[in-house]
Amino acid sequence: MNIWNWVALGGAAVAALLVVAVVRRRASASASGRRFFRHPTAAPGLFVLAFFVTVAVAAPLVAPYKPYQQIDIDHLQNRSPSTRNVLGTDPFSRDVWSRLAYGARISLGIGALAMLVAVTIGGAVGATAGYFRGWMDAALMRLVDVGLAMPRIFAMLVVVALWDHIAVPVLVLLIGLTGWFATSRLVRAEVLSLRERDFVAAARALGAGPGRVIGRHVLPNAAAPIIVSAALGIGNVMLLEAGLSFLGMGVPSPAPSWGNMIADGWPKMAVAPWSATFPGLAISLVVMALNAVGDALRDALDPRKEAV
Amino acid sequence: MIAWVVRRVAASIAIIWAVVTLTFFVIHAARGSPFLPEQSQSVSPETLDRLRRQFGLDRSLPEQYVLYLRNLARGELGESFVLRRPVADALADAMPHTFFLALAALLIDFTAGLALGIYQAVRERSVGDVVLGNVALFVNSMPTFWLGLVLLLGFAQWLHWFPTGGPSDPVLCPRVDSLPCLLDFFWHLTLPALTLGLVGAAGTARFQRAAMLEVIRQEYVRTARAKGLREGRVLLVHALRNALLPFITLVGLAFPFLLTGAVLVETVYSWPGMGLLAVRAILQRDYYVVTGAALVTSAMVVLGSLIADLLYAVADPRIRVRGA
Repeated sequence: MNIWNWVALGGAAVAALLVVAVVRRRASASASGRRFFRHPTAAPGLFVLAFFVTVAVAAPLVAPYKPYQQIDIDHLQNRSPSTRNVLGTDPFSRDVWSRLAYGARISLGIGALAMLVAVTIGGAVGATAGYFRGWMDAALMRLVDVGLAMPRIFAMLVVVALWDHIAVPVLVLLIGLTGWFATSRLVRAEVLSLRERDFVAAARALGAGPGRVIGRHVLPNAAAPIIVSAALGIGNVMLLEAGLSFLGMGVPSPAPSWGNMIADGWPKMAVAPWSATFPGLAISLVVMALNAVGDALRDALDPRKEAV
Repeated sequence: MIAWVVRRVAASIAIIWAVVTLTFFVIHAARGSPFLPEQSQSVSPETLDRLRRQFGLDRSLPEQYVLYLRNLARGELGESFVLRRPVADALADAMPHTFFLALAALLIDFTAGLALGIYQAVRERSVGDVVLGNVALFVNSMPTFWLGLVLLLGFAQWLHWFPTGGPSDPVLCPRVDSLPCLLDFFWHLTLPALTLGLVGAAGTARFQRAAMLEVIRQEYVRTARAKGLREGRVLLVHALRNALLPFITLVGLAFPFLLTGAVLVETVYSWPGMGLLAVRAILQRDYYVVTGAALVTSAMVVLGSLIADLLYAVADPRIRVRGA
């Protein structure tokens, strides 16, 4: 790592602190925002997330090498951490820190995008089932029962086998498609109670069609639990991606994802523990931050629950 | 009540059928076949053809599916191409391993999780609560297989306290048939069970802390204290009983978690259970092992939620009245 990488890394930390400060100022205007930050782990969690997102965006600046670059395949395999390679090198003589920084793009990206897919489908299915009730509800919920009966990683392994070499966007889509079942149940439960409320009846009486009633009146009121489950779900998606990549069925090598970095480093765990340990630590930290922020969001968005 | 049970069981069978059907068609559509070109270097094309015919792979997919269902109705799960033995036998060998792993993990999960959760709730906002809360959050956020690798590195590779993998010593204890071999089995079981159990316990502790806190603040707990009951009795008899109700949900959810976790943990520790069997079968396109594993896992998940519902009915009279 040269001096500029360190400066960039410091810059990322400062940027993350700024993000937390700005969000805190914005949030202090509302009661739920203050509740959010009263949660002791909310600010640190937000900082960790902002830091890793900044590192992902600024990967070329904070990483001294390209993620695929095999620095010196003869002499620099499995090197322990040093000033040159802060987190050491992996069995293929690649800089672990550089791969970690670029890998943040893939791992965080997959987590966020796959969750977006899952929340969109889960929200649509849950809202449809809960709003229209009847046979549509029954059919959709039986589908959800089937989806939930299959352990997700098992379902993913079977489906991923359809491809020889899976592209990352396909992987994102597949993870999203296997991850919406629980969300749809949650949304359905919310919609079931909301649809009986007076303001929904009023909207209907004013002549609003089902699409408008659901989109403008029902779903916005069901947003809180959806947001919370999404925040907590990103972590699960990241763990799933890591597990799949670890089994060699996720993000294809040599693209760096935190999961396949663990897979790459695993065989040399005894001589070079750093190449599998640091990516795992990064996953744990980010998932922990997501859980912390998710917990705080739940407390903040649920006014019945005064902050602990 | 009986009508409810019958309906639930029928729905469960329908769910398992749907999962098996989906798995059947997806895995058959997957690239490659059980008889791969690599093998054909040593096996002539004629032999491959004969093998395909022998296993019925030359027929159309709907035909194969009908045949599979018909065999399934007779209780036959088919034949494994790779292991060259009935799928039922392979599953029967693997299931006890996953069962004991899951049992040991659940034991660690629930005892440690409950104890920590209750302790944290009782000592709310103390140093111990905050420290344990953050540790639990961290452990709960780890990829299970990564924790497995770390434990393996620390306790097996560096300290040599535990073996690096496998279910038993292959030389001294090929079968578990004597006391030393039983101890050997437990010795091999410790790290995988600890890996799964710790991650689960962290989640249970977080959950149970919240459940206990909710109950502790209720009026009837104050009443119990006002009656002059000892604090231990108030907490463990009056409060805990109601705080355990949401815990039942966790019991149902633990099944899928353990099965999912087992897939990866079994790979890390070369533990010959369902997870390892399923992963290998998927990679080798061993069709009937995959569908058989899907059958068993979905049955276990469905069973888990069924048991949770029944436990609810037993534990909470309000639900019994409504469910009956």
